[in-house]
Amino acid sequence: MWHRSASFILDKNQNDTVYPADSVTLTPPPPSSISTPQNPNPNLNRNMSMSAYYQTRAAHHGVVTSDWLAQSQEAATRAVVTGGQEIVDGGKSGRAFSVIDEFNNWRKQPDLAEAVAAIRALAAVIRNSEAKTMMELEIELKKASDSLKSWDTTSISLTAGCDLFMRYVTRTSALEYEDFNSARSRLIERAEKFGEISYKARKIIAMLSQDFIFDGCTILVHGFSRVVMEVLKMAAQNKKLFRVLCTEGRPDRSGLRLANELAKLDVPVKLLIDSAVAYTMDEVDMVFVGADGVVESGGIINMMGTYQIALVAHSMNKPVYVAAESYKFARLYPLDQKDMGPALRPIDFGVPIPSKVEVETSARDYTPPQYLTLLFTDLGVLTPSVVSDELIQLYL
Amino acid sequence: MPDTQVLVNDFLNKLKKRKIEGSQATARQTAELLRSVISQQRVPYTNQAGALIDAVKAVGEQLIAANPVELAVGNIVRRVLHIIREEDLSLTTAAIGGLNLSAVSDDENDDDRDGDSTLSAAAVAAAARSTLRPPSLQTLLEDTPVSAAVPQTSSSGGDSEGKSKSADKSSRSRKLKHDVIEAVNELIQDIVTCHEQIAEQAVEHIHQNEVILTLGSSRTVLEFLFAAKEKKRSFRVFVAEGAPRYQGHLLAKELVARGLQTTLITDSAVFAMISRVNMVIVGAHAVMANGGVIAPVGMNLVALAAQKHAVPFVVLAGSHKLCPLYPHNPEVLLNELRSPSELLDFGEFSDCMDFGSGSGSPLLHVVNPAFDYVPPKLVSLFITDTGGHNPSYMYRLIADYYSADDLVVQRRATAGN
Repeated sequence: MWHRSASFILDKNQNDTVYPADSVTLTPPPPSSISTPQNPNPNLNRNMSMSAYYQTRAAHHGVVTSDWLAQSQEAATRAVVTGGQEIVDGGKSGRAFSVIDEFNNWRKQPDLAEAVAAIRALAAVIRNSEAKTMMELEIELKKASDSLKSWDTTSISLTAGCDLFMRYVTRTSALEYEDFNSARSRLIERAEKFGEISYKARKIIAMLSQDFIFDGCTILVHGFSRVVMEVLKMAAQNKKLFRVLCTEGRPDRSGLRLANELAKLDVPVKLLIDSAVAYTMDEVDMVFVGADGVVESGGIINMMGTYQIALVAHSMNKPVYVAAESYKFARLYPLDQKDMGPALRPIDFGVPIPSKVEVETSARDYTPPQYLTLLFTDLGVLTPSVVSDELIQLYL
Repeated sequence: MPDTQVLVNDFLNKLKKRKIEGSQATARQTAELLRSVISQQRVPYTNQAGALIDAVKAVGEQLIAANPVELAVGNIVRRVLHIIREEDLSLTTAAIGGLNLSAVSDDENDDDRDGDSTLSAAAVAAAARSTLRPPSLQTLLEDTPVSAAVPQTSSSGGDSEGKSKSADKSSRSRKLKHDVIEAVNELIQDIVTCHEQIAEQAVEHIHQNEVILTLGSSRTVLEFLFAAKEKKRSFRVFVAEGAPRYQGHLLAKELVARGLQTTLITDSAVFAMISRVNMVIVGAHAVMANGGVIAPVGMNLVALAAQKHAVPFVVLAGSHKLCPLYPHNPEVLLNELRSPSELLDFGEFSDCMDFGSGSGSPLLHVVNPAFDYVPPKLVSLFITDTGGHNPSYMYRLIADYYSADDLVVQRRATAGN
């Protein structure tokens, strides 16, 4: 039932043995907001590795208490210390440590995209480096980028951002720069400018999607995506009349945060529980989602529940539009849901669950390209088949 | 200029009154008009491309506004703009390639632009080339003022050339116009011969003893079927009449005149006959960037029937029909409502449709849309003059023929160029 074979018994045994060797895990903080201080799911502590990426997203967008946040931050810094020492190979401990630290600092800002934080961290590496040639600099950057990627294997935009920057460095060094220092300063300057690019990207995406939002339309939104928020904000500013149906987005309840923001803009919002999507789908005109990553097939990886919504929309002939910046394009090709690295996130059911009961804690799912209608990116409006073309142009 | 203005006004009138039938005729006349606009346009010594682009955009804006449903007009305007940019770029690359590094670094324009005077000529050309391609992941991190880079490059190239050889400058300005007009001539040639190029591929798609269904009348389809008949393929054609204009009747007549076995059916009979058909071949009014098709009304019906019975739905379209826009509400915005007299006889129905009597609003309304939108998932294959393509491949052709800057044809008020 859970898997197609009885392999789940084997998997469970494997998980138990794998966990102690994995040193980069963050122990999830016990929930403190509820009055009953019971650990709702003892499974959590045993074989759970919490995805740092989703932890940060929850910190940005979910409805969390300050206690939980403080504890999670403490857990993060604790893991960094252990992680940094593990990843280091003798001598360069200072640098590897500071990359991840730097990255974390940038990432904490709620408005900054993951990839931008990664690229800024790499820019800091360039600044602190003592390399005298481009080759040396490239090698250092590669090492830093690898350590960033291995620190959080679940974040796709982090990987994609690092890869993008590495490609840019390789290609720029191919142009003749007579002076190493000017090349270096140019790299740093471009990396810092990347933050602006990401901001501009959201504006471009918002402008491209304005035509698709017509007066009197009903938009279904899932999860809290800053890009989709920008799209809706611009539509509201352009005095378009539309209303938004917003799913709750359990377990981090990011939908509630989105509903708050939209209410501030005087946009009519209706909250749905996640199971009510099919029930309301026939009054919906279009579905708008963001993406954590866009994969090579043209499909997207996004918060858990997106695949479900896309399936329902497809079966009822409603268009599904994805708003994603181009630096989220990643060189992954998942063949099914389990094909990606697991990104786990603890779910608080509010009541204690017996330890024998497993919980599906994956934080994200993969939506295949045939259920998506169009992607709005800063490269323009794209159909899903264009994505692989773009990636090939970049990487080959 | 007054000469071209007369021509422009003339053409605008024809477009507004819908006097020109068919996208091929419209495309050809638009291209010829733009050619005369370009040849009449006086260009300054520096930044010729900018001046030409401005002139074409000014005229193009008016043309598109005159008949927004005729997408071929906008397509040709954008093709011409892309041609201007391309010719300018190839001239510039040739010019810069001839200069040595010191000349480039001495240039003040270069210093102002990116403060990095050690950029080689190859780097500048590469950056300029990237302005023509649509924005991509590769160019994401590169220097931002890309759209302004092309005119600046050409002006800086012009200036430093001027320092050395002034005779070259004037010859270069003439060369750009000459090159552009040559390229526009090629474009007109392509438009005129698109039927032949598409018909050449007929033999690959129509085999022996096949049954082909089509709707209405399209000259491209006619030539396509004739070409297959020339090559001794034996096939039958079902023609759906294409109400309310009944152009299918004309097509059937022409096919019979050529010796093809033809069957005429009503549009409503398409679902009944589709199971006996091997292939559906139709023409299109326009093809959108997502692969969707704007076609004469009734086409969506045929496409749905074909999908239900797994019959390949092949669309023939010349490259002047390829539009870089994405349809966000095609049934309304890209459609035209024609006269009710094509459906109803005014004499018989004059009571029901009387706007003058009673409350002033009659109970009987007649809606006569001219076009249908066929979504890309229903189309199996596009046959253009460049070959057969998947609907999901359309974006590639668009990237070849159009520049991203020209999607909105509007003369920029700022002096960015």
